[in-house]
Amino acid sequence: MRRPSREGESFGAQLLTHADALYNFARYLTRDAALSEDLVQEAFARALDAEAQFALGSNLKAWLFRILRNAFLDRRRRERKSPVEFREASDDIADAKDVWLRGDLEIDRLRGLVVSDIEAALARLSDDARAVVLLDLEGFTEIEIAKVMEIAVGTVKSRLARARAVLREALQEYAK
Amino acid sequence: MSECQAVREQLLDAIRARLAEPERARVERHLETCAECRTIFERERALDRALGKRPTYALPSALRAELSLRVTPSKAKRSLARSAAILGPSLAAAVLVLLLVRSWANPNQELVTEAVNDHLRVLYAEHPVEIESGGIHQVKPWFTGRLDFAPVLSFSGDDEFPMQGGAVALFVDRKAATFIFKHKLHTITLFVFRSEGLSWPLRHNATLGPLPATSAHVRGFNSLLWRDGDLGYALVSDVDAGELERLGLKLNLR
Repeated sequence: MRRPSREGESFGAQLLTHADALYNFARYLTRDAALSEDLVQEAFARALDAEAQFALGSNLKAWLFRILRNAFLDRRRRERKSPVEFREASDDIADAKDVWLRGDLEIDRLRGLVVSDIEAALARLSDDARAVVLLDLEGFTEIEIAKVMEIAVGTVKSRLARARAVLREALQEYAK
Repeated sequence: MSECQAVREQLLDAIRARLAEPERARVERHLETCAECRTIFERERALDRALGKRPTYALPSALRAELSLRVTPSKAKRSLARSAAILGPSLAAAVLVLLLVRSWANPNQELVTEAVNDHLRVLYAEHPVEIESGGIHQVKPWFTGRLDFAPVLSFSGDDEFPMQGGAVALFVDRKAATFIFKHKLHTITLFVFRSEGLSWPLRHNATLGPLPATSAHVRGFNSLLWRDGDLGYALVSDVDAGELERLGLKLNLR
């Protein structure tokens, strides 16, 4: 049975308002258009099936993103596809050098970057690190990111800081 | 924990405007006095601006249609089909009214997003300036024969906002006269285009003299859009919104 509409909109219609952001996130997660489409379909199917489990008043978008990420992880586990690609975030620590205070030079260089540089730098991150960065840019708070990723808030903070340090390092290289 | 450490932990929240008082004021005060933390703050903002250039992948329309169908309850689908058969054109009219009401309630941000995309296209074009500026009297006539309207512009740049030149570029789905200004190291693009048929943002949050305008921030870029007669104007840049408004005012001085 369908839950009565919330704020005048059906549950399905509310899900639909997040479809664009969800697909965009899937593209960054998988780096594959066809797989992203499959994942969005699967996330919608799971969300509609689990409608009764969604707690009213909680964040629907974060809930939907978590479902998509879990669908992605399930698929990866099933396929056991290239475990090398599925690096843990700790890999990033070795890559992240201290780039604290390059100051104006760094800021000026970052201005000259083009879209392909940004895309390439994001692709260099591990799946988890990229997901955290993208969720932050998508406007999720650290608490919401923790719910999507099913990790502690402290882990989100450190993972985000490390990932941004790696990005800065990578982008500096492209900007030279 | 030192003050610097405490502030650095909150920098991202400060950039995302998520700090409540008194934390917000505390971070702001600290940044005024600590050059090191201010550099880190600026560097994080620069990284955000750079990441704002990342590609956005649009949901394929076929998938959108499929999802729409999926989220429509089957009972509703059946009754929709029945109603469509009975009501036909009047149902279509009702749907149209509903869409119009929705677009009134949720001012369309697409135009703002498109303006930013078109600004990026200008920035990354091989020859962003097709006609070097030797003053407005040289640039404006150059558009004759290249556009089906005459761009109205009375400001030809000054020391603060020198005009680099002009070009014809696409704005959303139409040709636009594009003027490129500089402000310090920043590039500002001004698009002048026919405004008819565009889904214009209805929410005005700025004024340029007598004209209402819409100021928006998307993916690290500021934009300012307004209409004057049949023409639409869009200023887009990574300069601060205040600077953009100052240029907007200069463009509208009569």
